[in-house]
Parts: sequence; structure tokens; C-alpha cells
Amino acid sequence: MNNTTTIPGITKGFPPLKILIIVLILGGLGLFPFISGNRFYISLINEMMIYGLLAMSLDVLLGYTGSLSFMHNAYLGISAYVVGLFLIHISPTSLWLACFAGIIFTSLVALPVGWVQVRTGGLAFALLTMAFGMMFHTIVWKWYGVTGGDDGLMGMPNPDIHLFGWNLGSSGDPVAIYLFTLVIAAICFFLTRRIINSPFGAVLEAIRENEDRASFVGINVRRYKLLGWMLACMLASIAGALFILYKGYIGPSTMSAFAGAGVLMMVLLGGMGSLWGAFVGAAIFIYIQDYISTMTEHWEIFLGLVVIFLVLFLPTGFVGLGDHLKRFRKG
Amino acid sequence: MEELLCTENLCRRFGGVMATNRVCFSVNKHGLTSIIGPNGAGKTTFINIVTGKIPVSSGKILFKGQDITNKPTHELVKMGICRTFQINSIFENLSVFENLRIARQAKSGGSLRIFSSKQSLKAVTEKTWAMIERLGLKELAARPAKNLAYGDQRVLEVAIAMAGDPKILFLDEPTAGMSPAETRHISKLIKELASEISVVLVEHDMDMVMSISDKITVLQYGCTIAEGTPEEIQNNQQVREAYLGKEE
Repeated sequence: MNNTTTIPGITKGFPPLKILIIVLILGGLGLFPFISGNRFYISLINEMMIYGLLAMSLDVLLGYTGSLSFMHNAYLGISAYVVGLFLIHISPTSLWLACFAGIIFTSLVALPVGWVQVRTGGLAFALLTMAFGMMFHTIVWKWYGVTGGDDGLMGMPNPDIHLFGWNLGSSGDPVAIYLFTLVIAAICFFLTRRIINSPFGAVLEAIRENEDRASFVGINVRRYKLLGWMLACMLASIAGALFILYKGYIGPSTMSAFAGAGVLMMVLLGGMGSLWGAFVGAAIFIYIQDYISTMTEHWEIFLGLVVIFLVLFLPTGFVGLGDHLKRFRKG
Repeated sequence: MEELLCTENLCRRFGGVMATNRVCFSVNKHGLTSIIGPNGAGKTTFINIVTGKIPVSSGKILFKGQDITNKPTHELVKMGICRTFQINSIFENLSVFENLRIARQAKSGGSLRIFSSKQSLKAVTEKTWAMIERLGLKELAARPAKNLAYGDQRVLEVAIAMAGDPKILFLDEPTAGMSPAETRHISKLIKELASEISVVLVEHDMDMVMSISDKITVLQYGCTIAEGTPEEIQNNQQVREAYLGKEE
């Protein structure tokens, strides 16, 4: 096997079993709204996918570049507001244009923030993400004339969703936005996976492992950390565009520090450094939030217990469950 | 012989302490230069300054006649100034192969390719394999670096620095914590390397220093107190005093 062009530990393409699992999951999710028709679950899964995408974007930072962002939801929020404002004030039907505006505006905000953040390391970086996030939260909260302040952004139009020449229907239709979310999230997942396995992704992993050594093999650490940050913020902005189309509304609480901690919890629940784990983590988190909150409004207590359990017994998250069980069986 | 790197009156101050005090140091394109001195003499600080880890307080560093004072580390590495650390600094959770592959990739470029696979950098992969075979790490290639025995990690530490095709390589106590057999192995490796490139060695093992060095520089309290061939250093009165204290 040792010819000189193979890299140990990497298999080219997908093994058949993986392809089967991927097809089953995507197919199942794709067919779900036509089989079930239960609007509640369609909507719930839709939210899981959007937050899964956001959690995955945080995993790019946390699991691959090794930088912690406490308030990654801020970039979802900024994008959601921009997409909403674009549709309300500029053109109520140009969905794609609005989404691009959201992504580009969010990137323009994230660039100087990232530039400052990568000049610090470790805890200082993490605290700065929090400081900037809270600043954005406050701006959105107080800027009543533009953002609607506490009331949130109202009067969102429901543009038709055109995808690959198909008209899926109005964004107000739960099935249309569900399918749109599924396709976009899947595309983002596979693209990100590709990026992570590229030479660029290898640089990010080297930085996660050992920043000092990375710079002593000739890597411009700040530059690549900034690029990793920008990638993560762009993915979050895509999630933001989906979010406002799905909800038809956004308020400042989506951008709060509390919500930011939730995103971090999703990544930890699922397990860092796998990308798909983030989707699993988001699904578990949102399910718990939804299920428990029907019984008590103090659902955070239960979630807290789950996190404590996880930290103590399954620090690698859901992703590490398989390895854990294997070891358990062997004794 | 042509001069590759030299420092002019290099100083580094930590508060009131001169950790490096007007050091003038030069090395040629080939050969092995050792830096020795008692604990706290400023050997590691000197390496840290020259390789860009900490900034210079005053003075100049020239590489091939070009001023490189206070340039960022990654630029110095690209010019061919590489180093190893006294305490292992490797990519622990990456495979041995990936440890060397990323060093090779950083040197030869392609890191901005975001949509192609790692295999697309064929030259990088081939060179990494060649290096793995030369160092006898083939069996360990797929293992995470953190699972290696300490001695093998030490070899990997040197190998990562070598993967960047250095013109000058600074080795900060490469044999620290190694067995006598491992020390012999690594000193042979260093000697071979010194016939191709310039190697600067900081080392406490005097037998090794005296037997393989072409030139020795002795530091004490941040100052150069002697310079010369191993014989000259062994017979130098000031050096003896620095290590053993003055005879009363």
C-alpha cells in the first residue's frame, strides 16, 4: 500500500456503507414532509437543520482551528437582520439577492472583528468574541428605528423560493422552506467537509494542535486564523439567511449571550471536530428545549444536567459514543 | 568560507537583566557551531531572538547580508531559518506523517487551496514519504505523534524542522532526556546534516559537543566569553572559570 502518493489515514472518496447512510439520512429528511405532513415536526426539524448549520460553523472554529467563539449566534443574527431588511425595504421578491447581501454584509462586519481577535490568543480571543457579540446584540436591541428593537423585525414578506430553476413555493410555506434549508445545509456540509480535508484545512488543524510549532514550520498563524474565522462567519451568515426565511421574524434575543452559550452547548453535545456531530448536537439540544419546555418553563435546568453528565462521562460528545461503547464492551 | 548568518551587538533585556549582551556571532554555510555555557547563560534566549520568537532589544541580525532583525517567525522559516525546541513541540494528535507533511506543505506552498484534497499536492506527499523512509519512521507513519516513545518524538521534533529544507538549523538541546544509544544516533544525524547545511547546537552533553563541533561559542551572563575550536575552548582559562569557578 506504500506507494508514494498515498497519505496514511486517508481513504479516497466515501466507502459504500457511508454512502448508504448519507443517502438514507438525506432521503429520509427529504421525504419526511411528504410522508408525515405533521407541520409541527417539519418545523422542528427545520430549526434543527438551521442550528445544526450554525453549530457546524462554530465547529470549524472550535474543533478545527482551536479558537473559541462564545457568541457565534451574533453572525447568524446580523445576517438575518440584513436579509430581512433587504426584503422589506429594497426588494420583497429578490430572495437570492437578499441572501447574498446578508452573507456579504456579515463578512464585512466579521473581517475587522476577526482582524482584532487573531492578534490575541486563547482566552483573550474567546472574551473578545463575547465583547463584540454583546456589542452587536446591544446595537440591534437599541436601534429601534431600523431593527425594531425589542419588538424585533416585523413585516417580513414571503418571497418565492427558486432553487435550481424550480419554484418550491413561498417561504411562508413550511414545506418549501424545509426543503430549501435541507438542500442548502447539505451543500454547506459537503463543501465544508471538502475544505476541512484540503491543504487549507490541514493548516487549520496544525494551528489547533500547536500554534507555536505551526509558525515555526512557516505558517502565518494570524492570517490562517483569520481565514478560518471568516469561513465560520460566512457559514453562520448562511444559517442566518435561512433563519429569517424560516421564522419570518427575528428579535434581539436570538443574538443574546444566552443563545450563544446554547450554540456552544450544541457543539459540545455533538462532539467537536467532526462537522456532522454539530448537527446531532443541535438536534438533541432543540429537541430537549422543545420537549421539556412543554412541561416546565425551567427547561434550562434539565439541559444543565445533561451537560454536566456529558462533561463527566462523555467528554467527546455524541461523536465519541461509538469509541466509548467499544471500550466498555472490551472491559 | 562564506558567512551565512551573523549578529551584530545583539542585545535582549528582560527588565533589568541583560539576557543577551552585545553578542556578535557568525556561522558559515556548512558546519556545526555549538553554543555552550552554564545554566542561565542566555543560550535559549539567543536562539529565541534569532528565530524571531522574541523581539530584539537592540542590535542587528543579518542573513546572507540581508537585515532580518525582528522579522516574523514564519517569514524567517520560509527563508530557511528553522529550529527545534528544548521541550518537544509537535502536532500531538496528528499522525507522524501529517506532522512532516504539513511542514513540507508550509514550505512549498499550496496552503490556500481550499477545494482540492491534500493528495493533490503530489510533490509534498512524495517528499514526505522520502523523508519518512530516510529517518526510518515508516512503521510509525500512521500513528498519532502523541503515542510515540519519547525518543522517537525527539527524532520527530528534529525531523519537522528538517522538513522545511532549512539553510540553518538551530537545535536546542536535542538529546535532552535521551538514552546514550539514542544520543549517539542523533549526534550521527546532526553530523551528517552539518555537512550539507549550517547547524547551531545548544547542548549540555560536553562529550558530544567536543567530538562533533567545528566551532564553539561560550556564553556567560549573556556575553560571549570565548570562541574557537574544541581544543581552544578546552584550554581556555576563562571558560574553565565559568564552569568550575575561580581557583583561590
